[in-house]
Amino acid sequence: MSIIEFKNVSKYYNDTPVIQNFSMKMDSGERVAILGPSGCGKTTVLRLLAGFTSPDSGEIIINNQIVAAEGKIIKEPEERNLGMVFQDLALWPHLSVKGNLEFGLRAKRVQKIKREKYIPEMLKLMQMEKSIHAKPAELSGGQQQRVALARALILHPEILIMDEPLSSLDQDLNVQLRKEILKLHNKIGFALLYVTHDREEAFDIGSRIIVMKDGKVERIGSSEEIKKHFD
Amino acid sequence: MNKKVFFIFVVICFVVIGILPILFMLAKSVNVDGRFSLYFYKNFMNSSREWTLIRNSFTLSFLTTLFTTIIGLPLGILFAKTDLPFKKLFTVLFTIPLLIPPYITAISWFDLLGREGLLSKILNPATAEITSKWLFGLPGCVLILFSTFLPVIILLTITFLKTINPRLEEAGKLVSGWPGVLKGITIPLIMPGLLLASILVFLLTLGEFGVPTFLRYDVFPVESFTQFSAFYNFGAATAAAAPLVIITFIVLVIERIFLREKTYQLHPAVGGDKSSKINLGAYRKWFLIIVILLCFCIIILPFFVLLFHSLSVDVYKEALSRAGDSLFRSVAYAAVGASALSVLGFFLGYLIHSKTFRFWRAVDSLTIFLFALSGTIIGIGLINLWNRSATNFIYATPLIIIFGYLAQYTALTSRITVSTLAQIPSSMEEAAQVSGAKWMRRITLITAPMAKRGLIAGWLVGYIFCLRDMGVTMLVYPPGHDTLPVRIFTLMANGSTELIAALCVIMIIATLLPLGIGGILFKLRGFLK
Repeated sequence: MSIIEFKNVSKYYNDTPVIQNFSMKMDSGERVAILGPSGCGKTTVLRLLAGFTSPDSGEIIINNQIVAAEGKIIKEPEERNLGMVFQDLALWPHLSVKGNLEFGLRAKRVQKIKREKYIPEMLKLMQMEKSIHAKPAELSGGQQQRVALARALILHPEILIMDEPLSSLDQDLNVQLRKEILKLHNKIGFALLYVTHDREEAFDIGSRIIVMKDGKVERIGSSEEIKKHFD
Repeated sequence: MNKKVFFIFVVICFVVIGILPILFMLAKSVNVDGRFSLYFYKNFMNSSREWTLIRNSFTLSFLTTLFTTIIGLPLGILFAKTDLPFKKLFTVLFTIPLLIPPYITAISWFDLLGREGLLSKILNPATAEITSKWLFGLPGCVLILFSTFLPVIILLTITFLKTINPRLEEAGKLVSGWPGVLKGITIPLIMPGLLLASILVFLLTLGEFGVPTFLRYDVFPVESFTQFSAFYNFGAATAAAAPLVIITFIVLVIERIFLREKTYQLHPAVGGDKSSKINLGAYRKWFLIIVILLCFCIIILPFFVLLFHSLSVDVYKEALSRAGDSLFRSVAYAAVGASALSVLGFFLGYLIHSKTFRFWRAVDSLTIFLFALSGTIIGIGLINLWNRSATNFIYATPLIIIFGYLAQYTALTSRITVSTLAQIPSSMEEAAQVSGAKWMRRITLITAPMAKRGLIAGWLVGYIFCLRDMGVTMLVYPPGHDTLPVRIFTLMANGSTELIAALCVIMIIATLLPLGIGGILFKLRGFLK
């Protein structure tokens, strides 16, 4: 059953089309990577899905519910039950690791006793339990990535969206974190929509790849199919 | 509460406090005996005095703007881009005149150049007679307002220089020396910002009331104040105020059309602080000597004259006994005013930054319009709107002073908020939104804490401007609620030179002390890293 659906979605900025007639479907637990060069509209797809911006035409459906359509946001981002890892990670610098994770739990009115249980559990999963009281600035790049991932997953979202989260890391760390993301996906089973401009990253993470160019879907296929096409 | 409903409430508060008094004042001035009439305006326009006021106001504003821009731009460049020694200290020293009421600077110059000033004792009374004549009139007003508003150009030049991508200058440096780069690249890039700063100085001078009153130079705000307070002729006061409202409005509309888009584009550049510095080389000591001389003449000398005239413990005791209550009220009202300004300015700044409504530009422009408007006009407007029995809880209490502060100075805190928020990535709030937080929770727990430096800076700026305010307070303060600037102004009629000098020193200390303490605390706590 589809958990995400884009139906002929278009978005314009100052009359310039950013994405045009974009359509796609994604199933629960599926891993989809959107691949394309800078400026092709892939981040806009994520921002539309998250609800930070509204489509000028078309519909966006999450869990069989229309969340945005024809210039209107029907469901606000905080109501969509999504987890998101931003390109710049967006870790709140004034809050500790615990504070960053606790923020969403408090917003969702999760009881303190449960919060005290979930946070160490999630940090343990990310091998970050020792840094619970550290501020983001005190962490290495890899550790910051793990905290961002932990924050996105702490509310057990059905969908995790990631906007080029590994682009600023060196190759070794990039490869290592890809493995960890896949491990987490297998363990938790969220639907993963991953945006990147890096082919290797896309083939590694996505079981299905959407290739975008100039705001349009150029090709959709399994990782192997797209790989063959590029080869 | 719904986000849009809350922000509409904030905008309504701002309109009621700031805009409604002006509209009410203008509407009332064309209503004579219940009928529409331009009687007051016709009367005012037919008098030859009108043209004198126009000429004087424009001459004063033009000359002040010209001198502050010609001197302020090179000083800003020297302090921001060169290896001039003590440039941070100079920046602080040159900023001081902006922080104290301008008429206190006028008093200090009077104590130096007046008939019985220090100069008459050092040289001879005949020379003092000449300098006194020079001081009371256009040259004196230009000198004092030049030193008052010079920091506006210096500080904005420094700020705008930080918006330049260092690579642009470095590319220029490959083919030209620094003079060529400054002339061909740096200054043209900051020109929109520089013009904006000059317009601000022009409008602030146009609305200045204290200095022209003290130095007996007839301009619109003085006429408006005189008609209102001496003759209680509301219609004539408004007629004298109307040209200022119109001129301020037109200048800001022109600025909006031609400059605002360009100045909105001036954001802090990546690596802007690390731009290459100009090595002054052999000219370094000459620049230093020129800056020291200028600093001594327009900042240190007037302050030392005040100190010299009040060098007695007894004078300070008398000053505190006669105006201690006003000092206390000044500090208390300024603290309350700054807090209210911080709250209103933060929400308006947030509204402008996030473009919550389509009319965000109008909100921004109206705050700037009120800031540039003469305090006397805002004061007259507030009195007319709130002076009725049903609203006596505002008019007859210090609340009317706080309203005055909010009307005049919200632009300061809202603009500081906008600049601060521009430096926080939008993903920070978006991450909170995805985490399930509603808008108020996002603002209070994520945005506001991340903007705390800007909020604290806004509070301090608000405090200083409330403390130094005289234009609004002079008109609206209820009996028994005068502030120190107002008390000094009223005591000048019959107080001794020593007493006035001591009060001015107290006023300067009350202004600078919290800044000094705040600066030290911030540094100790790493706020200013």
